[in-house]
Amino acid sequence: MFFRLLLESLFRQRRRKLLAATAILLGTATVTAMLAIGTSVGDKLNHELSSYGANILVTPKADTLDVVVGGVSIRPATAGSYLRESDLTKLKGIFWRNNILNLSPELPLHATLTQAQPSQPATVPALGLWFHHTLHYGTESYAMGAPAMHRWWRLQGAWPADAALDQAAIGSKLAAQMHIAPGDSVALNGEPVRITGIVSSGDATDRTLLLPLALAQKITGQPDAVRRVEVQALTKPEDALARRNPDSLSPALHDRWYCSPYANSIAYQIQEALPNAQAEPIRRITQGEGTILQRISGLMWLVALAALLAASFAVAASMTTAILERKQEIGLMRAMGASQFSVASLFFAETALLSLLSGALGYLLGSLLAARVGWEIFHSTIAFNPVLLPAALGMALLVSIAGGAPSVLRTLGMQPAAVLREDG
Amino acid sequence: MATILQSAVGSEALIHLHGLTREYASRAGAVRALDQVTLTIERGEWVAVMGPSGSGKSTLVNILGCLDQPTHGSVRIAGTDVHQLSRQELDRFRAETIGFIFQQFHLIPYLTALENILLAQYFHSMTDEDEARRALASVGLGDRATHLPSQLSGGEQQRVCIARALINQPPILLADEPTGNLDAANQEIVQEHLRTLHRAGHTIVMVTHDPEMASLADRTVELHHGRIAAERRADLTAQK
Repeated sequence: MFFRLLLESLFRQRRRKLLAATAILLGTATVTAMLAIGTSVGDKLNHELSSYGANILVTPKADTLDVVVGGVSIRPATAGSYLRESDLTKLKGIFWRNNILNLSPELPLHATLTQAQPSQPATVPALGLWFHHTLHYGTESYAMGAPAMHRWWRLQGAWPADAALDQAAIGSKLAAQMHIAPGDSVALNGEPVRITGIVSSGDATDRTLLLPLALAQKITGQPDAVRRVEVQALTKPEDALARRNPDSLSPALHDRWYCSPYANSIAYQIQEALPNAQAEPIRRITQGEGTILQRISGLMWLVALAALLAASFAVAASMTTAILERKQEIGLMRAMGASQFSVASLFFAETALLSLLSGALGYLLGSLLAARVGWEIFHSTIAFNPVLLPAALGMALLVSIAGGAPSVLRTLGMQPAAVLREDG
Repeated sequence: MATILQSAVGSEALIHLHGLTREYASRAGAVRALDQVTLTIERGEWVAVMGPSGSGKSTLVNILGCLDQPTHGSVRIAGTDVHQLSRQELDRFRAETIGFIFQQFHLIPYLTALENILLAQYFHSMTDEDEARRALASVGLGDRATHLPSQLSGGEQQRVCIARALINQPPILLADEPTGNLDAANQEIVQEHLRTLHRAGHTIVMVTHDPEMASLADRTVELHHGRIAAERRADLTAQK
């Protein structure tokens, strides 16, 4: 009888129920979309910001140690310390190895560049780099290098081969100054080198000669040497814990900090892997990311809350009218001996059924909306998140019960006799 | 001073109201709908309650039906002081003791005639479709079980209401203007059903404006300004 009453009652007052269902559907769709976007915006933003280059810089630790005698630093300005290129494979052995997307070691030097045709040799800044280097770790291999790290670089021609000792690329301004075109042959410290491409970057690289790292090491006479390494890592946006000094944390908090992919903790693990290295997050990116994410999350929650409130008011208005229209029915049930609980159960079950149906549809609509928004903003879809389904249904239930409860309870509180004597 | 009426029908009082007062708050102050009413109704008795509008007859029936509580006084029904019952106990007591027949029928519009009767069973204990069909047949509507209230005439709806009131075999039937919305033909049918119920031993308390209906009762109680102004027996003249 209960289910018969429930079903018959559910499909009555269709216009009002449709209005309430639509309010719940739109509310849960908005909340689902906001939560779906909010929970994946960190990853999306990380991927987006990764196109801005490295977020951790690794340098030799000796560079950061000041040697002060009598108040005067006596550390040489050129600070000739190096990292070892062969050690870089160790970075793929750290706890967050899978978050390390790219490494770009650099070895700066100055070289004498002479065009093939008789001209004055010029001393130019040069930089030894990986272009398309394959890094092997265990059975895995990874393609890494400067072009993937600096996606905004524009290349005319081709990148030099990493193993070639007679190829180089040249910055666009330097190439223009020295009238060099892709395919030209030049002399570098007296050795013949072919220019494979011209690079335009918009920064100092435009005035730099880009050499395979092996060639730079050969010219400097420093085999296996690297001056610094740019690291591109997938990180979690900075929060209060990320900014804490790990040495001051309790063991439990330290574990949490260590096992969170903050730029700080990844840098910390890089230093563990390379004891002579100093790894520092490039803060302008990690901090900016945290701030942006915090603001986006705040906005999402605000919109979600507004949607829930609006839905709740709409449901309340619709349910109040629907229930007041049926107050004689409630009075009759009470007169027949129905307890307040059994009458309330009937109306709340009806409301719950309506809200669960609308909530499920709202979840589907919200997920589609999130996928669409993800595509429009991040050019990658936001997958359906099944964890959000119970959350969406729970919110739909909460909104509808909260919206409908006052009118049900108020009607139950009325004297059945008074209600029944009113003309139907 | 309370009016005390003693019934001549039977010896066991099914309903005993003593010093019953019901006041309602209003802007103008407290309005006394019932004023020190004392009344005893015996088992199997048919009592008609008459009086002008605002005389307190509906308030009296509501208190008898445990749908309202008196401000002062006591209500004993079938030996139970209903004032002592909790809200849940009162719901249970109402389901087991009282059957209501309304002037406006109050059938659930989206349930069939049969389902409207089953609903009363559902709130009482458990549904029994055969029994509900028999109740419907007993009021001459065995062939209208699957009809919705909108497909029934006023008289038929009132008969469904009577079947619903009787399905749980309550000792007391409260009828509020049971023929007030019916034409003469249907009025006669409903009167006949009430006579049958009375002969079967049901206790009926009926609010009516209709002297013809009141004449069917064993006793007529007239209320004026919340007090019992007169009481007549079918075979006697007015006692007050």
